[in-house]
Amino acid sequence: MPALRNLTLGRYVPTASVVHGLDPRTKLLASIGLMVSVLATPNLPVLGLYFGFLAVSTRASRLPAAMLLRNLQAFTWLFLFTIIMHALMTPGTVLLAFPWWNLTVTREGAHGGLFYGLRLAAVIVTASLLTLTTAPLELTGGLERLLGPLRRIGVPAHDLALMITIALRFIPVLIDEAERLRKAQLARGADFGGGPLRRARQMIPLLAPLFISAFDRADRLALAMESRCYRGGEGRTSYHELRFRRHDLLAALIATMIGLGITIVPRLLHR
Amino acid sequence: MNIIPPSTLARVGLMAALTAVGAFIRIPFPYVPVTLQVPCVCLAGAWLGPRYGALSQVVYLLAGLLGFPVFAHGGGPQYLLKPSFGYLAAFPLAAWSVGKIGRGAHSTPRAIIATISGLVVVYLVGTAGLYLNLRFLTGQDISFAAVVRLGLLPLPKDLLLTLPVTVWVFRRREPGRSGRNTVRKCCCT
Repeated sequence: MPALRNLTLGRYVPTASVVHGLDPRTKLLASIGLMVSVLATPNLPVLGLYFGFLAVSTRASRLPAAMLLRNLQAFTWLFLFTIIMHALMTPGTVLLAFPWWNLTVTREGAHGGLFYGLRLAAVIVTASLLTLTTAPLELTGGLERLLGPLRRIGVPAHDLALMITIALRFIPVLIDEAERLRKAQLARGADFGGGPLRRARQMIPLLAPLFISAFDRADRLALAMESRCYRGGEGRTSYHELRFRRHDLLAALIATMIGLGITIVPRLLHR
Repeated sequence: MNIIPPSTLARVGLMAALTAVGAFIRIPFPYVPVTLQVPCVCLAGAWLGPRYGALSQVVYLLAGLLGFPVFAHGGGPQYLLKPSFGYLAAFPLAAWSVGKIGRGAHSTPRAIIATISGLVVVYLVGTAGLYLNLRFLTGQDISFAAVVRLGLLPLPKDLLLTLPVTVWVFRRREPGRSGRNTVRKCCCT
């Protein structure tokens, strides 16, 4: 479980760039807005324009392009599936035919597959840009502030952010504990090999103590919080204050323009 | 909403963490490896009750969507586009359902029904999510029956793993059976 061990790092790449310096709230809202807009783009040329914008943003955030491409790798099979299914299943002008398998690739199918595949890629790259340029804890803080106004209708914004932090702190502790328990059971003659059913049964002497000790830990944490007079989020101040600066406004404006530009404007021009 | 007490905060955070760890403990069954995630979701409902059980799963989803690598293949908002996101999205609802039906369950049959309800929710929402994703996001003409066959593949194994774990938890909550205070006093709804 190496991925979880250095969890606080996440996939954040710290460089000093304009994009990194933006308020996390700006970046959160802008990327959500842009992702929704991309899903509403009408055609390929507009999508191409959006990729131009993504290239500029990647330059501005001083990230190596290879990093973004690596994020796309996790979706490889989805891309392949999309493109192949489209190419083979859409009726239209035949480009290529495989008479042996009774399959044909059509012009419309190839076009559709390319469009849906690229649209997917655009959304993924946008999301990756957000997580690569913003430290996860910064994002948590930003989320807390964004949800703040919703407290009136019962959304526990501060508690949510705190619980995320607690959960993240617990993960490495739990992993270490599980490892320690596994070794302890091995030392007492446990055998974790064998068939699937046997392996499932072997999990019980591991999981039972893990859950019990985990709940012990949670209780100790609660006691520590109570003895330090934790009183919820009301009137709490923070060490790092978030500020909405001028370049945040600029970035928000650019994102709004791009969002409208790839959804509404092409449709207006076409009429 | 009034202040959530620290003990509940810590437990909700803990269950979210356990769900994250559960995604990485794999038991290599043939064809579809089974993770401990679904058992953890049912545990959250059983231990924390419907409301906080669901909240713990919301915390887990938020952490993943914010970019912490707590999902099986990393994290980040792009996870919304994964065909399998429906299963994750079902977790809060599943935890709620397990907690609601199993609230104060002292009998094994009731615990079993509660657990099965959680699994049903996960697979129902998960399969629907799979269908919607393939149909509208990637724009494919795929039949619902095919998606159902694809989506229900891991069900029997999940059932095998989840039932004993959750029933064990419900039974440990029974006064007098539990050896440790920590487990018994956590009915915090």
